[in-house]
Amino acid sequence: MSRSSICLAALSAPVAANKLGPPSPACQAQPSGTGGGRGGGTGGREGLSCTDRVLVRVQDLIPEKADQLIWLRARVHTSRAKGKQCFLVLRQQQFNLQALVAVGDRASKQMVKFAANITKESIVDVEAFVRTVEQKIESCSQQDVELHIERIFVISQAEPRLPLQLEDAVRPDGDGEEEGRATVNQDTKLDNRVIDLRTTTSQAIFRLQSGVCQLFRDTLTEKGFVEIQTPKIISAASEGGANVFTVSYFKTSAYLAQSPQLYKQMCICGDFEKVFCVGPVFRAEDSNTHRHLTEFVGLDIEMAFSYHYHEVIDSITDTMVRIFKGLRDNFQTEIQTVNKQFPSEPFKFLEPTLRLEYTEAVAMLHEAGVEMGDEEDLSTPNEKLLGRLVKEKYDTDFYVLDKYPLAVRPFYTMPDPNNPKYSNSYDMFMRGEEILSGAQRVHDAQLLTDRANHHQIDLEKIKAYIDSFRYGAPPHGGGGIGLERVCMLYLGLHNIRQTSMFPRDPKRLTP
Amino acid sequence: MPMYQVKPVSGSHVKTDLPTCMYAVPNVHALQNGEVEPAVKALEARQDEIMRKLYELKAAVEGLAKTVTTPDADLDLTVSSSSSLSSQSPTSTTFRGTTDLDALLGKVTILKLDLGALRDIVINANPAQPPLTLLVLHSVLCQRYRVLSTVHVHSSASSVPPQLLSCLGPRHPDSYARQMFQLGFTLIWKDVPKLQMKFSVQNMCPVEGEANVARFLFKLLSPYPSDPAVATLVDSWVDTAFFQLAEGSSKERATVLRALNAALGRNPWLAGPEFSLADIACYCCVLQSASASSAPTNVQRWIKACENLGHFGPAKLYLK
Repeated sequence: MSRSSICLAALSAPVAANKLGPPSPACQAQPSGTGGGRGGGTGGREGLSCTDRVLVRVQDLIPEKADQLIWLRARVHTSRAKGKQCFLVLRQQQFNLQALVAVGDRASKQMVKFAANITKESIVDVEAFVRTVEQKIESCSQQDVELHIERIFVISQAEPRLPLQLEDAVRPDGDGEEEGRATVNQDTKLDNRVIDLRTTTSQAIFRLQSGVCQLFRDTLTEKGFVEIQTPKIISAASEGGANVFTVSYFKTSAYLAQSPQLYKQMCICGDFEKVFCVGPVFRAEDSNTHRHLTEFVGLDIEMAFSYHYHEVIDSITDTMVRIFKGLRDNFQTEIQTVNKQFPSEPFKFLEPTLRLEYTEAVAMLHEAGVEMGDEEDLSTPNEKLLGRLVKEKYDTDFYVLDKYPLAVRPFYTMPDPNNPKYSNSYDMFMRGEEILSGAQRVHDAQLLTDRANHHQIDLEKIKAYIDSFRYGAPPHGGGGIGLERVCMLYLGLHNIRQTSMFPRDPKRLTP
Repeated sequence: MPMYQVKPVSGSHVKTDLPTCMYAVPNVHALQNGEVEPAVKALEARQDEIMRKLYELKAAVEGLAKTVTTPDADLDLTVSSSSSLSSQSPTSTTFRGTTDLDALLGKVTILKLDLGALRDIVINANPAQPPLTLLVLHSVLCQRYRVLSTVHVHSSASSVPPQLLSCLGPRHPDSYARQMFQLGFTLIWKDVPKLQMKFSVQNMCPVEGEANVARFLFKLLSPYPSDPAVATLVDSWVDTAFFQLAEGSSKERATVLRALNAALGRNPWLAGPEFSLADIACYCCVLQSASASSAPTNVQRWIKACENLGHFGPAKLYLK
């Protein structure tokens, strides 16, 4: 097999239609380096057909594989020529390693020059020997090995000028200002999401998010819940018309669903007993904050209970604790990667989850010097302060606040039978910010009508909703969490756009 | 009104010789044998008694005045100096103290409305060293007040044996309504180097160490003995229990057991005739150090006496 071959043809004929299939059209080795023939299917092929070629993963390259000849497809993270050698860092998702092209009997000077000129982010196929190194390579994820390249082909070339540099995108914010190195603005990152998603931090965040979703599904399925899909185009805004998007629907208009609540409840009335659904939620609030999006993924739960709505709370908190444990046990690498760029305290929780009552919370706030009435809703700064107080006393980042005052909850919340000022409703907080708002729902049509009248809601608009409870409805309750917000708070990040792949907010509609 | 003082007519006493031929009249104010009349004596005695009571009353009032004006002053020592180690005040019995939690823990008031919110005591303990004393005190607290007990496992604790999860007993049927309880007892199994208690985050710093938390909980049940000597003795036994019995070498333990034996030879309980925190602490530490069977006779007798009291059920249950 010829050694020092470069196929320049690969640059001009990306994935040409040839008989060899997906691997690079330049499988054919050229006996002399430069200006070789077209990379077509004709000519002497090597003994191995390219479909036998196994591409190795960077993360599997460990000292045990030393002196093996392997093929690898990765991106060029950096390339730097130094005299007779060219150092490349090849990257695959979160892993990278150093590779070396050196002038010798294997590589010509032109090959080294070629390698040095490969633009960053280009995808290359590399055939190389794995060699161990005496000194650890600190800057790479694979620190004990490096590749000595025999052949290198470019599969897909990137444009030379990138809108942002990946090292800058991963740099922690504080460092940039001190050493005069740049960090990348969030807006730039979001505008060029395709490149930003390649960074180790983004890879880690979204893998963790996928884990959350997975754990949510698995835990609930194990508990006997059924996954349902609810419609997102609905005819009437259930919670007041101000916060819904309108879409034109043939001759009339319809709305995008604010929450799957109505349909979850109808499923309960339809005897499914325990349901959950994962789907987008659309809120037309003009809130430009660090924790609001106009479209996000809602993980919603609804279940019928036997005797007390605390069964619902216990079920939801148990699910959350299982998710936290799953993340803690299986996603440590991802959490550490994110922490490198965004340092934060590890997430702490208690099992079983701490449940405080609203009156206790008000007492704690009063003790801390906050003035508020006992039927007043908690403002965001008060919620954050309460989170800090609870953290100080119980050392937990996750807790449930039970028995909210009835006056601040929606009309379909079941009032507390023992105390008419309060309701059977609860909120759950992570790191002092609310992630779930839930309650026992009113399942009696007459009581629901009374409550709606009390809140001065037009009964005509919610007729379909009330009708669902007229034919026997079990007592039920539930709640919904936002996937992006849970990830953001679990990792201790500060902006929800970091955990939303293509975020939507009042100012952003693309990508 | 001062009277005009007449200057003495004659000078100082002039020695006069009394004639021996005259008949000496006996003292009309005295009895035959020269003693003072009993009525006078009685009068004098009554006067003395009244004066003494007056002085005592004055001292007591002064003592009270000091207590009222000085926040932390103990009762004036001059009042209690009369009572010694051997005599106990007749009013103190086991666990009979004020039920007024408000006075002990501070009222939870919100803008002049008393919401009656739960006062929660949070204890962070290491599952490797379960605090038996606190479990015992918890069960006594439950008999006195309405206590909402919960056990949690913190995310830092890796594996907690199931008996630790149920060490506070079964869940109270009313536990869905936290407001209905006077006191909360939240036990969190956590990876902490030393046991820690948090109560009022704004007003109190965390209390560390099983001995100190035990003292805090005990004071909710009954006040410490008013005699400072007895109180110090109780404290010293509590410290001995936790430092030398629980954490000491086998030599130290043996010394403590001998000291216990000696003390129990003199009194039925460690701090005198009354059961106290010292007994609870020492009992739990003796049990935990597994030296109950090899203890001297007085100690064995005392262990049986403790068990008869019935407070130590949870401790024995856990150790099984």
